[in-house]
Amino acid sequence: MSIEVLTLLLLACILVSFALGAPVGLALGGIAMAVGYMTWGEGIFTLIPTTIESNFFSFILLAIPLYIYMGQLLTRSGIGDAMFNASQMLIGRIRGSLAISVIGVCSMIGAMVGIIGAGIMTSGSIALKPMLDRGYDKRLALGVIMAGGGLGILIPPSIPMIMYSATTQNSVGRMFIAAIVPALISITLLVAYVVISCKMNPEKAPLDTGDERQMSKPEKLRTARDGFFSLLLIVAVLGSIITGIATPTESGAIGVVGAILLAVLFKRFRFRMFQSAGFETALLVSASMWIILGASVFSNFHMLSGVQNMVAQFTQDLGLPPIGVIILMQVIMLLLGFIIDELIIVLMCAPLFAPIVVSLGYDPIWFGILMILNIEIAVQTPPYGFALFYLKGIAPPGVTMMDIYKSITPFILLKLLVLIICMLFPEVVLWLPNMIMGEG
Amino acid sequence: MFKMLLRTCCVAINRLVYCTGLSASLLMPFLALTVAFEVFSRYVLNAPTIWAYDVSLFLFGYIAALTGALAQQKRSHIIVDVLYLAVPDRIKALFNLLTYSLAVFFLSVIFYMSLGKFEEAMEFDYRRQSEWAPSMAHFWVMMMVACTMFVLQFVSDMLQSSYFLFTGQRLMPETDGSSSENEKVTNNESAIKNGNVSTGNEVKGENA
Amino acid sequence: TLAVSASMAMVPNAFSAEHNWRFANLYSRGTAYGEVYQNFADNIEAMSGGRIKVQMMYAGEGVGQTGILGSVKSGLMTMGAPFQAMHAGEFPPGVVEVGLPGTTSDVGELSALFHEKGWNEVLTEAYGKQNMVYLEPYIQLPVYVLTKKPINTIEDFKGMKIRAPGAYGKFLRNLGASPASLSWSEIYTSLATGVIDGSIGSNLIDHRDGNHAEVAKYMYRLPIAGAQTLPIVVNNNAWKKLSPDLQAIVRSASAAHAREQMTKSRVWESQAVADMEKKGMKWSPEPSKEDVAGWNGAAESLWVEYANADKYSKQLVQILQK
Ligand code: NA
Ligand code: NA
Repeated sequence: MSIEVLTLLLLACILVSFALGAPVGLALGGIAMAVGYMTWGEGIFTLIPTTIESNFFSFILLAIPLYIYMGQLLTRSGIGDAMFNASQMLIGRIRGSLAISVIGVCSMIGAMVGIIGAGIMTSGSIALKPMLDRGYDKRLALGVIMAGGGLGILIPPSIPMIMYSATTQNSVGRMFIAAIVPALISITLLVAYVVISCKMNPEKAPLDTGDERQMSKPEKLRTARDGFFSLLLIVAVLGSIITGIATPTESGAIGVVGAILLAVLFKRFRFRMFQSAGFETALLVSASMWIILGASVFSNFHMLSGVQNMVAQFTQDLGLPPIGVIILMQVIMLLLGFIIDELIIVLMCAPLFAPIVVSLGYDPIWFGILMILNIEIAVQTPPYGFALFYLKGIAPPGVTMMDIYKSITPFILLKLLVLIICMLFPEVVLWLPNMIMGEG
Repeated sequence: MFKMLLRTCCVAINRLVYCTGLSASLLMPFLALTVAFEVFSRYVLNAPTIWAYDVSLFLFGYIAALTGALAQQKRSHIIVDVLYLAVPDRIKALFNLLTYSLAVFFLSVIFYMSLGKFEEAMEFDYRRQSEWAPSMAHFWVMMMVACTMFVLQFVSDMLQSSYFLFTGQRLMPETDGSSSENEKVTNNESAIKNGNVSTGNEVKGENA
Repeated sequence: TLAVSASMAMVPNAFSAEHNWRFANLYSRGTAYGEVYQNFADNIEAMSGGRIKVQMMYAGEGVGQTGILGSVKSGLMTMGAPFQAMHAGEFPPGVVEVGLPGTTSDVGELSALFHEKGWNEVLTEAYGKQNMVYLEPYIQLPVYVLTKKPINTIEDFKGMKIRAPGAYGKFLRNLGASPASLSWSEIYTSLATGVIDGSIGSNLIDHRDGNHAEVAKYMYRLPIAGAQTLPIVVNNNAWKKLSPDLQAIVRSASAAHAREQMTKSRVWESQAVADMEKKGMKWSPEPSKEDVAGWNGAAESLWVEYANADKYSKQLVQILQK
């Protein structure tokens, strides 16, 4: 079977099994092993142990349980709410203010985590409930979380950027600095969108219910204190990374310990709360890891069958003009975001595309940032994308996949806009690193 | 009588899976503590441990793998429910039978390969490649247990779906996997979930 | 240049040869080392007149770096170029094979060790036990340690937190440093923020590729291991299917590959050093006699420890000590 036919067959199987409501990870793994058995024979099963080892013994993925746990502890102890309540005392009279605070918090979380899954699940744990509690439009709330949580790989530190730099032999520091302006543009556009769309559809974001203003003075003080300390926790976690106490992965554990200490300090610690946070975290971690395992088995099988050769050949054979090649690469990565996570897209596409891009005369750092922006979109595009699954995992019962698709559409368009801006005006990406580090 | 037998079987499986998953979830604080201890040990004591790295990875693996079956029981695994939510319950039951079979196939392969890996690990004394070099054999045993629980849970879910498909009646009204209203699994621990996710009902109300 | 296009031609008719092999290596597509392995694969095809087709699997394409040995053993990959330090838990003698701290860097001595003194025989048996055929060893570059602060005497290593796995970590602990475990992709950030004070790299090229010199400038002059010898392994079942003449062809292609590794590695190492020096990397001052003695002393106690890992390690170390 040629790789083209195999790819189509795999895609068809995915579409059917997903439509029938199969558990995503197990279906991906099952399809790969079933098709693999028919085309390769029993030998393909030996793919499984090495794939299990590379996923379950990945220290980078450890950020997922640690950050989800921190988020769950903050939410269940009420400290997470306190942060947003306090923000409402300050800017509650601006329509959409809560969503804006959420974007702010997501940006800070983005500066702590280096992978998509940890970014979205932490943001979702902390910020989704306060928005829904205050009667925010479900779609606005979900979309903001997805867009904000996705910033985790654009705001340094970012594991995909480190992987890109290593496979293409570019400066990580330069890459981190190059991402700053695109990240700021993304944040600004997100805030602008929230403000404008809430102005146009006031029912999306109810103004504060006045709870904060009707509070007695001691209550207000208490809210302000709790809010201040919870913000301080986030600053402390960030600080532990910047001052070299912990790596980005480990900082999640510092956040967990900090959240427990805060809960005890504020007399919000209940053993049941503690237990249920662990319980819920375990379920979310399990759901994520079984998807990651199944998807890795799938993509490993697909690569063993030579999909990377097909992609490389396809890119070269069309005889497109240089910018056409760049655009085609973006489209290919968007399509790959269908079924594989951000780390595998980088691992597969960086070495395939970067040499071509450089030979066409483009700057590899610029292309790297485009790749990161693209991946951020790719993992969020319907029908199937990794980040969608993470968001579904964290969303309360009753939120359907369709809700999620509809919620993210405007935010995807915003991110696409950032991608196009950076593609058309390379200076947006390259200006800052060139200024700080000199011309590359 | 037959119904009673089936129901007893499903209840037993659900309880077993619940206990295994709950035990695994109790490891969560220890995972965070292990990583935090390594940071403390390295930064404050200037003496990084040789064991924390591997212990944290093992705990991570145990939690993620062993909770899998429980996550299925509680319908926490992600599905793309676009078409699924739109079809009648009996069709859902049919869909479940098909997709769960695929899942069971995959899990059986994992079980089979883990068994092979375990035998190898015993024969050649496989260890982690770190300085501490703990044994790997227990990890593959754990994977086999995780897959067994997972398959058992699917068997329970498939029994319930088949029963509903053929009789049009629920075997166990509360935990039936073919219902779209099953997000709230009324188990003894459901209070943990419901009590704390206050938004659940609001969102659902909006949906209904 | 498009390294990619070179590998394209053979893929469409991958199923037309007598033997279809998959060859896994540690490097990415388009990298200089990746090309050396590609040449090896092409050579097997050319020398066998197309009877053996070899499909190259680069880093992360199907199996991860830690999965190479296991995948050759199981037959998922026909042939592999593993880095043995990553497989210490599965194949203990590999750690001795790759080069314990303090072993020689002299190419002649190394060659004698393998070809005349009996290492080849021991390794052939050890790999054979795990269903693999051991081909010609090839020599790669030494392991160096990079630090944020200059090292003027080996005393300066005391108390330093250095990312160094396995045997290298034990060696540094003997010098008074604190070895730490970190994932490779967090080394850069950790050096930048000061989580660690230094890191080893599997060679100088690895330090360059990880951009570590941007955030840690000082390279210690003494290598931890003088040279690394790496194996090429083939799945035993696939090997048995080859006729004797094809087996001989694969072996001679493997010898040619070893020569190419040797010559090109040195060139690339000096390029990597030049690249890093341009970014501000500095070598430590020439170590004193006492430092060299202390350095070697730290290594010797390790040999005994690793000899006790299993029976093949013991045999290798015994030969080494002769
Ligand atoms: Na980040
Ligand atoms: Na997608």
